[in-house]
Amino acid sequence: MKLKKYLSFTRAGIIEEMQFRASFIIMVVGNLLYLIIVYFLWKAIYASSGSEVVNGMTFEDTLIYLVLATALFNFLDLYVVWQIGRDIQSGKIVLDLCKPIEYRKYIFWSYSGSFVTHFFLTFLPTFIVVSAVTHGAIPLGINLLFFMFSVVMAISINYSIDFFVGTICLYTQSIWGINIMKQVIVLLLSGATIPLAFFPEPLKSIMYYLPFQSIYNAPLSILLDGDPSVETLLTTLGTQLFWTVAMLVISKLFWKASVKQITVNGG
Amino acid sequence: MKKRGLRFYTKIYFKIIAQDIKSKMSYRADFIISTIGMIFTNISGFVSFWILFRNFPSINGWSYHEMLFLYGFSLVSITPVQCLFDNNWSLRQQVYTGDFIKYCFRPINLFFYYQSEVFDIKGLGQLAFGIGTMAYSWSKLDIGFSAFMLLKLIVFLITASLIMIALQNAAAATCFWIQNSFYVLDLAFKFKDYAKYPITIFSPVFRFIFTFVIPIAFIAYYPSYVVLRPDEVPLLSWLSPLVGVVFFIISYKIWMRGALKYNGTGS
Repeated sequence: MKLKKYLSFTRAGIIEEMQFRASFIIMVVGNLLYLIIVYFLWKAIYASSGSEVVNGMTFEDTLIYLVLATALFNFLDLYVVWQIGRDIQSGKIVLDLCKPIEYRKYIFWSYSGSFVTHFFLTFLPTFIVVSAVTHGAIPLGINLLFFMFSVVMAISINYSIDFFVGTICLYTQSIWGINIMKQVIVLLLSGATIPLAFFPEPLKSIMYYLPFQSIYNAPLSILLDGDPSVETLLTTLGTQLFWTVAMLVISKLFWKASVKQITVNGG
Repeated sequence: MKKRGLRFYTKIYFKIIAQDIKSKMSYRADFIISTIGMIFTNISGFVSFWILFRNFPSINGWSYHEMLFLYGFSLVSITPVQCLFDNNWSLRQQVYTGDFIKYCFRPINLFFYYQSEVFDIKGLGQLAFGIGTMAYSWSKLDIGFSAFMLLKLIVFLITASLIMIALQNAAAATCFWIQNSFYVLDLAFKFKDYAKYPITIFSPVFRFIFTFVIPIAFIAYYPSYVVLRPDEVPLLSWLSPLVGVVFFIISYKIWMRGALKYNGTGS
């Protein structure tokens, strides 16, 4: 009953997303170009390293990882911070706060339609193409199920971080700077642009203690590991679960404490 | 209308940007946070670069410090587009809402007036970062130093910066024909990230594309030859100032063509 209410937001989001076909095509072109650059760059890196395996990853491993990370990025990064920032600046947030639904949930569910469309239009096709081209380099088994769980938690952590950063906008009224900082930190420290295995030692250990690696590194490592030990699986999923709960609580509390701060210039 | 001289335009330029800087300064928190955001972007770019290449003495015949020089070169040559042509980003909104019509009634060059309205100070941090990187790698490279080399470097930097400006102008101008040009602009903006790698890592087909179709090789790779390897400068390097100027003129024509056919929104 309750879910049905929220799913109507999802439906509206899907319909809205379908309106922007041109931007979708350009996004695909942009991704292809990015992947071409990534392919040649890493090929050159592996060629100059003189060995097949660098930091425990072969060229093929790295490439699959990065292609899927890009696909995951398109489906996770939905510019939620921009939305919250714009709502604050324009004052629209006041109307949203009056709605009989929590603002946090309202934003999440209005973006849920984009999650669905982006999953089917970018992640799934990429996944199918990659697994067909690499002839089974991606194991297809029970890991897919764990991957699903992992992605759901990644969505939640990512959303909590976005919401947290969006809340900061209540104080600063600055969108661009806050957003760019968040994006840069998340992309670098989550392993979305460079696999975690390549980071030098003290940095690598620190990254495992931060919530960011749970967004990209965790789901991808689960997906690409066909025969994981129970211990690795539990550690990865457990860490993710911890951060899901922790970030949820932190972002909720922070919002609650900050919402009184809202100053909206008369409109 | 009588032709106005360079002196007139220089004088009026500083008058216009002074207003913009004043208005930016009134949002001090936003300004400070945006500046920090920009510094973060540069640091993370540098860290990614360092993580990727620190383990390898050379990539494709390019030494670590040569690559670093290329990186610094690309940072400096994309600074002008960041600082001076930032208003391209709001072009689509102005065209969409009809505000753009106000520029059409000014008795000075339309393109000049539109671009001079915004000066993005944050870009200066990037300039400092780029110069620092170049100076450091230059000191590590055994290529000597002379006033003539510095002069060559400056000339090639300025002309290289025209490429990125041209790409952004042309991408922004698409909003005169299509509704939402954000994705086109965003795509063109990402090219800057690809300019920092030596073009030799690509296969011949893509080498051709990145030289003649999307000329990102002229942003850093070809022009930096003049300083890095003065003895083996390819012909295309000497052509790079010309390429910059030609692409800039083409983009100016496209932009003006769109602007002059603009009819407003009727409101």
